[in-house]
Amino acid sequence: MKHTFSPSFRVRLFAALLLVSLAPTLLCSLVLAQVFRVQVTDSSASWADEQSELVMRLLDTAFEGFADAAQQLDGINTVSAALGGSADGTEVYSKLFAATENVRDYAAFTLCDLDGLPLYSTRQLPSGSNALPTNWGVLHAADYAGEPITYVADDSSDSGSPLFQGAVKLTDGTGGDAGYLLISMYRSDFSALLDGKYGAQYTLLLASRYWRPVYCEQTSLASTLVPELRQRLLNGEDISSASEDFLYSAAYHEASGLYLILRQPMLFTSSTSDLLFTISGICALICIAVSVLLSFSFSRQLSRPIQRLNSAMTAVEQNRLDVQVDAERGDELGQLARRFNGMVVSLRRNQEQLVENQRELNEAQIRMLQAQLNPHFLCNTLDTMKWISKINRVPQVALMSTDLADMLRFCISADERVPLRREAEILERYIELQKIRLSDSFAFSMHLPAELEDCLVPKMILQPIVENAILHGLCGKENGGITVDMSETRDGLLTITVADNGRGFPLDMLGPYRGKSREGCGEHLGLYNVDTILGKYYGESFGLVLTNAADGACAVVTATLPIQREGN
Amino acid sequence: MSRTSKILVALALALLLTGCSSAAAEVSYAPPESERLTVYTSHKEEVYSPIIREFEERTGIWVEVVTGGTNELLDRLEREADSPAADVMFGGGVESLEHYGELFTPYLSSEAENIDPQYLPDDCLWTPFSALPIVLIYNTKLVPAGQLTRWSDLLAPSSLYTGRIAFADPEISGSSYTALVTLLLSQSGEWEDTIRAFAAAVDGGQLDSSGAVLDCVEDGSALVGITLEESALKRIAAGSDIALVYPADGTSFVPDGSALVRGAPHEDNAKAFLDFTVSRDVQGLMASQYRRPVRTDVETSAELPEHETLAVLDYDVDWASDSRDAILMTWQFCLGGEEMP
Repeated sequence: MKHTFSPSFRVRLFAALLLVSLAPTLLCSLVLAQVFRVQVTDSSASWADEQSELVMRLLDTAFEGFADAAQQLDGINTVSAALGGSADGTEVYSKLFAATENVRDYAAFTLCDLDGLPLYSTRQLPSGSNALPTNWGVLHAADYAGEPITYVADDSSDSGSPLFQGAVKLTDGTGGDAGYLLISMYRSDFSALLDGKYGAQYTLLLASRYWRPVYCEQTSLASTLVPELRQRLLNGEDISSASEDFLYSAAYHEASGLYLILRQPMLFTSSTSDLLFTISGICALICIAVSVLLSFSFSRQLSRPIQRLNSAMTAVEQNRLDVQVDAERGDELGQLARRFNGMVVSLRRNQEQLVENQRELNEAQIRMLQAQLNPHFLCNTLDTMKWISKINRVPQVALMSTDLADMLRFCISADERVPLRREAEILERYIELQKIRLSDSFAFSMHLPAELEDCLVPKMILQPIVENAILHGLCGKENGGITVDMSETRDGLLTITVADNGRGFPLDMLGPYRGKSREGCGEHLGLYNVDTILGKYYGESFGLVLTNAADGACAVVTATLPIQREGN
Repeated sequence: MSRTSKILVALALALLLTGCSSAAAEVSYAPPESERLTVYTSHKEEVYSPIIREFEERTGIWVEVVTGGTNELLDRLEREADSPAADVMFGGGVESLEHYGELFTPYLSSEAENIDPQYLPDDCLWTPFSALPIVLIYNTKLVPAGQLTRWSDLLAPSSLYTGRIAFADPEISGSSYTALVTLLLSQSGEWEDTIRAFAAAVDGGQLDSSGAVLDCVEDGSALVGITLEESALKRIAAGSDIALVYPADGTSFVPDGSALVRGAPHEDNAKAFLDFTVSRDVQGLMASQYRRPVRTDVETSAELPEHETLAVLDYDVDWASDSRDAILMTWQFCLGGEEMP
């Protein structure tokens, strides 16, 4: 029973619940995650912008200062003369120091002659230092580029060498070439310029125009990270790799040709998204669990009463009418249970009625059997009486005993229903008897149409009615008269009317006889019996109707019953 | 779920996912295609790095460098022949370049008139970079000066050096193959006999990289070694107890070179780079690093003996390239102690 119903319903219920709970949850967490990510990315991008602005300004200060220094040293005769090898060193140095006053902390300024030989420097000249090649590197770049200063990243792995160098060609007073001003930035210079000036969570990488490493606070990072980022650029990828927990942003510093690359830890890291996913997963699991529970409980709430109803119906099927289902619930199922209970109750009442009827019938049959106890002995005795009276020439006794025997035989015959003709004959026997008894004090007439003679009627229904009329209607009345009339109504029913000209029925007895109890019928026991027999045979709609004739002084008993014929 | 609601859900999800990924619109600092160059190089970083950087500074072209062994890179080029990623093969003995000639496009450098004609190939398939004589080296603590002068010293049966010669597998090392061919050319008689004699002298002990030759001689596990002049001089300059000898019976001046890859995606930039490798400035830089420049107007470092003072063999690059398989097979047989097939 359960299997044909509950799984599919339960599953459907589960699916529906899951959908309405899981879908919004997942959607919500997805939206939240995305919004959060965008928010975080946006804000970190703007912070990075601020930081790179800051660094940009620092670089501006330095490189503008460098350009300024180059400007001041250009075209000064003292300097050009010194580079030509003929001047007072002190004077050159004072010019050099004056020009580089503001930015001396950020770079070493070296004056080289046209062969690239360093002659004067704001810092200590490397001992035994050779001339720099003028056909290579920074001096070559200065030869070709001129203004503004071109800077070149130094790739030497030697820690003592500058990281970043710029050079500019100096002219003498007449516009001829005098030498080079070499600006060398060492690791310590970058440190002085930049370290600690930007947010601690950022890593600043400086790269050359071609994304070659220049400087990073952590030395090893510059040489490992920058080539990787460069490769990403060349591969056309985003410099912030999705697999890393860092976000990169780059900016170009025009004056130096340096790229600033800021690395910041990604706030929205994979672990954050993992956390979000875990939370979403847990929510989803809770949704699933709740859905399972709810669907089980709902389907149980629905299936339990139906199951109970079902087993109650099975019980009814097995004719156990005492079952009742629990109908406390107020919902549709409760209603259904109440209806069912009502149905069972009325079914039980019907059955009890049936049993009662059966019992009554049985009792009647028993009474009948009892009545048949010694009938043959009586009949034979009556026959003997008839013969004795015939021998002794007492014809009245003979007639009476004949009639009585006939009636008795009729009464005890096994047939339950007899043709109307026979019923009429027995009634005539009875009338003969009564006339002898009552010395012909009443008139009797009976009209039986020939077409109704074959109608089958229950045995002995006429005699009690007529007897009632004789006993009560004609009691103490002379010239009494009884009329029996049988006819067929228009709607095919047989009506038998027994009318007397006696005093009529008391008013409270008028109408259909039905409903009056056996005890209450008093002396009209015969009418009660007939009415009961008709009711039992043909149904409740058939029975006796008592009326008084229009002139008021005679009682009419009408029996109505369906027309049935032999073999029909 | 009905069809409509399915579509709606799909639409919502799509919006959700795409709507948020569009935030990453960023300025790209990547150079345009016209300012790119991909170089495959077998040179050491100390050699190629300054050249590449200077090239970038001077031309504004971004160079992507892929490093590897000569043969490894040539194999890779062969695999990529249909859609080459590389523009230039920079480095590698010219025999190797010649051997893989179908991978390259001939190009006559604009600097060709300044290049010593003896280094220029007839078919212009490659551009020479530097000349690299094969030299013999010995450990100055273990071998008295003047004892080793020529190839034939090594070949003498049961000599002092038998089994103590550092020689790299010519199948792996390009310079080692050049050395082997130089040895064959230096000896009169059938080359197969020379191989057999040399194999007996090496006695199975060949090394698996050219760098190991110097190490073996330096630490004394080998008495003598066969290597390139440039490598030997750098090691000597670094203070090793090594001396080098130009074999009196002949050395070779086989250059290494660069070549333009056939179907190179950035051909103009590649040509610019080839020109740059033979430019005065680069050749000058190389001359200061014990390499022999191929230009006529760049002086070889004064520390190096002049070309004319050395016994130089007429090295037939075509023969060396064509006979590669035969020579290597013979070498392997002889080294394994087997008879010739």
